[in-house]
Amino acid sequence: MTDEISPDLFEHLVDLAAFAFDPEEAEYLRRELNNQLKAIHQLENVPLADDVPLASHGVTYTAETRAGLRPDNWAPCENPDEILAQAPQVENRYIIVPDIPHTKLD
Amino acid sequence: MTLMDQSAFITAQKVKAGERSAVEVLESALERIAVVDGRPGSLDYGELTDEDKAKVHAFITLTADRARQQAEAVDAKVRAGEAVGPLAGVPLSVKDIFTVKGMPSTAASRILATFTAPYTATAVQRLEAAGAINLGKVNLDEFTYGSSSESSAFQPSPRNPWDTSRVPGGSSGGSTASVAAGEALLSLGTDTAGSIRQPAAFCGVVGVKPTYGRVSRYGLIAFGSSLDCPGPVAANVRDAALMLGAMAGADPHDSTAAKVPVPDYLASLEQGVQGMRIGLSPDYMKITFPDAETGELVEQDLPEEIKAATLHAAEVLARLGAEIVEDVPMPHTAYGIPAYFVISRVEAASNLHRYDGVKYGYRTQSDYHDLNEMYRKTRAEGFGLQPKLRILMGMYVSAAQYAEQYYARALRVRSLLRSDFDAAFDPAGAYKLDALLTPTTPTTAFKMADVYGDSVLMQYADQLTVPANHAGIPGLSLPGGIASDGLPIGVQFLAPDFAEETLFRAGQAFETATAAEAWRKIKPEVLR
Amino acid sequence: MTEYEVIIGLETHIQLNTTTKIFCACKADSWEDEPNTNICPVCTGLPGVLPVLNEAAVEKGALLAAAMHSEIRLTSFFDRKNYFYPDLPKGYQISQFDLALGKGGYLDLPMPDGSVRRVNIEKMHLEEDAGKTKYEHGVRYVDFNRCGVPLVEMVTGPDLRSADEAAQYLIRLRQLLRWIGISEANMEKGHLRCDANVSIRTVGSTVLNTKTEIKNVNSIEAVRAAILKEVERQIEVVESGGRVEAWTLDWDDAKGKLTKMRSKETEADYRYFREPDLLPLELTEAWREGVIASLPELPLARRARFRREFDLPEYDADILTSDRPISDYYEAAVSAYGGDPKVVSNWIMNEVLRMQNDLGVSADELVLKPQDLAEAIRLVEAGMINNATAKSLLVKVQESGKSPVRIVEEEGLAQVSDDSALQAAIDKILAANPDEVASYRGGKEGLFGWFMGQVMRETRGKADPKASRELLQKALRGEG
Repeated sequence: MTDEISPDLFEHLVDLAAFAFDPEEAEYLRRELNNQLKAIHQLENVPLADDVPLASHGVTYTAETRAGLRPDNWAPCENPDEILAQAPQVENRYIIVPDIPHTKLD
Repeated sequence: MTLMDQSAFITAQKVKAGERSAVEVLESALERIAVVDGRPGSLDYGELTDEDKAKVHAFITLTADRARQQAEAVDAKVRAGEAVGPLAGVPLSVKDIFTVKGMPSTAASRILATFTAPYTATAVQRLEAAGAINLGKVNLDEFTYGSSSESSAFQPSPRNPWDTSRVPGGSSGGSTASVAAGEALLSLGTDTAGSIRQPAAFCGVVGVKPTYGRVSRYGLIAFGSSLDCPGPVAANVRDAALMLGAMAGADPHDSTAAKVPVPDYLASLEQGVQGMRIGLSPDYMKITFPDAETGELVEQDLPEEIKAATLHAAEVLARLGAEIVEDVPMPHTAYGIPAYFVISRVEAASNLHRYDGVKYGYRTQSDYHDLNEMYRKTRAEGFGLQPKLRILMGMYVSAAQYAEQYYARALRVRSLLRSDFDAAFDPAGAYKLDALLTPTTPTTAFKMADVYGDSVLMQYADQLTVPANHAGIPGLSLPGGIASDGLPIGVQFLAPDFAEETLFRAGQAFETATAAEAWRKIKPEVLR
Repeated sequence: MTEYEVIIGLETHIQLNTTTKIFCACKADSWEDEPNTNICPVCTGLPGVLPVLNEAAVEKGALLAAAMHSEIRLTSFFDRKNYFYPDLPKGYQISQFDLALGKGGYLDLPMPDGSVRRVNIEKMHLEEDAGKTKYEHGVRYVDFNRCGVPLVEMVTGPDLRSADEAAQYLIRLRQLLRWIGISEANMEKGHLRCDANVSIRTVGSTVLNTKTEIKNVNSIEAVRAAILKEVERQIEVVESGGRVEAWTLDWDDAKGKLTKMRSKETEADYRYFREPDLLPLELTEAWREGVIASLPELPLARRARFRREFDLPEYDADILTSDRPISDYYEAAVSAYGGDPKVVSNWIMNEVLRMQNDLGVSADELVLKPQDLAEAIRLVEAGMINNATAKSLLVKVQESGKSPVRIVEEEGLAQVSDDSALQAAIDKILAANPDEVASYRGGKEGLFGWFMGQVMRETRGKADPKASRELLQKALRGEG
C-alpha cells in the first residue's frame, strides 16, 4: 500500500504550514499522518444521503438563543501597551519583522 | 482530614459564615501542593528523578501571592458583612489554556512560554468574581492535543494520583490530578473530544462537558473552535453543579455563547431519578478502531470491569426509580473519531496560524534572512510534535482539492452523529431518553509512555466521549467503581442540549446511593 | 496593425464608516493615531479571543448591496481565509466566501456618448481589514491600528473596456458610497482601495486572456495611469511574440512604474472554511425590506430626474448631483423659490458652491439655508435689490444667521428707485463734474459707464440700475 501522503506532498504541506523538519521528525510525522488517514477513510463507509447537511456546532441556535450582534459603541482597550509588550521586537511602537521577499519587474 | 478533604460547597458555606477563613483554606491547599505536587512543569527540566516519579506535577504556574490577596479580600468582605459569592474561599486551579491577566498563559507550549496575557478569560473572571481563590495554572497536553497530558512542553507532565506510574489522562490531566490529589477543590478544564471527562474518569473525579455555548469560550486558547467547551472538574457532583452555575451563561465577548437562562443547578440536584428514562447503548460497549497494518476496522468489546461499572450504575438508578431503556442504537458512534480527526484538525491548523513569532510568544533565536525563514524556524522550534501533526493534517484535509472529500464529508458525518442523539432524546421518538448512560473510557489509566507517540491509538481513548462534542450536547463523567488494578473507572451521562440539570440529578442520585459502597472508601495513592 | 481591446475588472475594498471595528469595540478610524494604540486583544489576535460582529457593519454593507441592486441574503456565512502575513495577526482573515451578504448586482455607468455601460458585480462581501506595514532600511514595521476595520469587498465582472471607464466606475462608486453615507470613500486615506485586473485581446475576439492584477493604486488618476501603462506593456509583450503571465503587479505612483510582486501560480491555497467562532448571519425579511426602503434616490437616478423634471443641462444636473447635500439643497431651494429651476441652479453653481468651497463645508452644513437663497433670489426679481447686493447678502446671511429680508431692512440695502432721491444724486454728480459732462455731450459716450459708477458710489450701491440709467440719460441729454 503506497502512502497517501508521499514525501513530496508532505513537503508541500510543510511549506503551507511554514515549518521546517529534520528527516527523522519528518518521517515520524508523515507516518502518523498516513496512519490517521487510514482512520479517516472509515468515513467513506458511512452512507450519506444527499440531504445530510454540513454540521456547524452540533447545537442548533434559534432566534431566541443566538447572542445577536454587537452595538456599534466605542470601548477603547485599557492596556494596549501590555499587548505591545508581548511582541518580540518593537521600535517606536511598531512591531518589527524581517522583510518579505519581493521581485522587481524590469 | 484537612480542609482540602471537604467539598467546595461546604468550604464556601463555612467561609461565608466566618467559621473558616479563606486564607486558612488557601494555606491548607498550598500545604497539600507542597506535599504531593513536586516540582512544577518547566521547559528546562533535565532528568526525572525517582522522587519526580512519585509526585503529581499538576501545576505549571502556582500564583500563591495573588491567591493570598484574593483570599484576604474574601475574608475582609466576610468580616465587613458584605456579600461574597457562592465559591467564597474555594481553591481553584485553572488549566493553562485559559488566559488570566498578568499570568503566564502557556498552553503548555514552548511557543507561548513567554506569553503573559493582558486579559482574563470570561470563565475565570466569573469564577473569581464568585469568590474562588485561583491557585494558578495546571498542566495539560500541549495546546490540549492529547489524552494523557504527556505532550506538554512543560515537564514533568502530570501523573495520576492513584498511581504515579500512570497518566492522569488528558488533556485536562493537571486539572483532574489537582482535584484528585486535593490540591484544589475545583478546577477549570476544557473538553474538545473528552478532555475533561476522560481524565476525570482516570483520576476518579467528576468532570462535566457542558453544552456547547453554555460557557463562554472567550479567553480559552482555541483548539477546535466548534467543539471546545470549558467545564468544571470537581470532587463530587454538587461541587461541579455549583461551579457550572457560577460560570455559565451568555457573554458579549462570545457570539457562540447561547442566550439560555442558567438554572439554579443546586435547587434541582436532589430531585432524584424517579421516572427518568435512562438509556444504555450496545454501541458504547465496544470500541472500533482501524488495524494499524491493514486499516481494516477492528471491533473489540470493552473490558468486563468497565462494562460492569456502567451496568452497576444502571442497576442503582433503576432501584432509585429510573426506567432503564436498553439497546438504544447509536449507529454512528464508531465514526466519531475519524470525523474528529478531520474537523478538529482543520480548525486547529487555522487556530495555530497566529503563532508566528511576530506579536507574542516565542521567536526563533537562530539567524534568519527573511520573514519566511523566521516563520519556519519559529514554528518548527516553538511547536511540539502534536501541534505539528494537527496542523499538517488540517492543511491536508482542508486544501482546496481535498476539502470536499474529507472536510465536507466529515461535517456530514458529524450531522449523523448528532442525529443519533436527536433520535434517542426525541420526546416523540422510540426511546424518549432523558439521558444516556455509558462508560466514559474504554480502559482505566494507562502507563506513562505506553500509548504516547501513537497518535491514532491515543485518539481512540476518546471514542466514547467525542460523540457529545460533535453533537454539542452535555456530558458528565463521575466515578463508577475501582478496577482490579486499583484504578478508578468512570461512567458517563449524556443529555440533550442544555439539560445539565438532568446530568447533575442523575449523578447526584448515583453518588448518594453508592456512598457506602466499599470502593468509595479507597483513596488515591498519593493521599494514603 | 492589430487592434486590441482592453478588458478590465476592478476589485474594490470599501472601508465602512462605522464607529467601531467589525469584530471588536476599537474605533474604526485611527488615521492620525500613534501606531499600535487603537488595538485590543481581539483585533491583535491574542490567544483565546473571539470575534463579535458589529451590527452597523451589517447595516451599511446591506445598504450598499441594496444600492448596487444586489440581493441581500437572509442567511450568509463568515469564513476564514488562511494565510501568513505579518499584518494579519490571526493568520487568517475573517471574510465571506461562497454565501456572502450580497449576491450579484450591477452599476450602470453613463458614458460621455450618452450610452450606458452596465458593470456587473460578481462578489460582494463583508470582511475585516488587515494592519499596515511599511518598509524602511531592510526592516518591516507593523502597525495593527487598522486591523479589523470593516470592509466591503466588491468585485466587478470583466466589463470595463478602457482606463477611462475604470476611472469613471470609481468616480461613480465613490459618489454612491458618500451618497448613501456608508463610507467616506477617500482614496488617499484608503477608504476606497482598488486593484485592477487587466488583460487584452484582439478586437472581435471573445476569449478572456490571462490577466494581471495591479495592486496599490490609491487614486483615480493612478488607476488610469497604471492601467494605461500595463496595457502598453501587455501589447509590447504580445507584439514581440511573448505571452502575458498572471503576475501581480505593484504600482509605484511616484515613479509611474509597475513592480512584479509574485506569480499567481504560487499563490497560497487559502483553505477557506466556515468561521466556527461566528454563527451564520441571519436577517429577517422585515429587516431587509427596511434596508431597501431606507435607500435614498440614487445619484444617477436623481441626475436623470433633474434633467427631465427641471430641464437642466447635463452639466448642471451632474454638478447638482455630485453629492447628496448639494443635491438636496438644490431641490429644497427650487421648491422654496417656485420659479425657474435653472435660475436656482445658476445661483447655486456660482454662489453656494463657492461659499461651500471657501468654508470647506458641505451644503447641509451651511448657515445659509435653501429657503434663504430662494428668498434672496425673489428679492432680486422683485427689484428690491440688485445682483451685486444679493451676492453680498448671501454672505451676510451665512455669517449672521439672519434672514435675507431682515438684513435688507436692518442695513437699508433696498435699492434706491425713488426718482427724486436718484435725481438729487445725479444733479449733484453732474454739478460737480462739469468737464466730464462737456466731454460726454461732445461725443465721448463711453463716459456713461463712469457716470453710472458715480451714481452707485453716491448711493452706496443701492441705486436701482434700470431707473438710474433712464434718469442719467435724460440728465446728460439736458432733459433733466
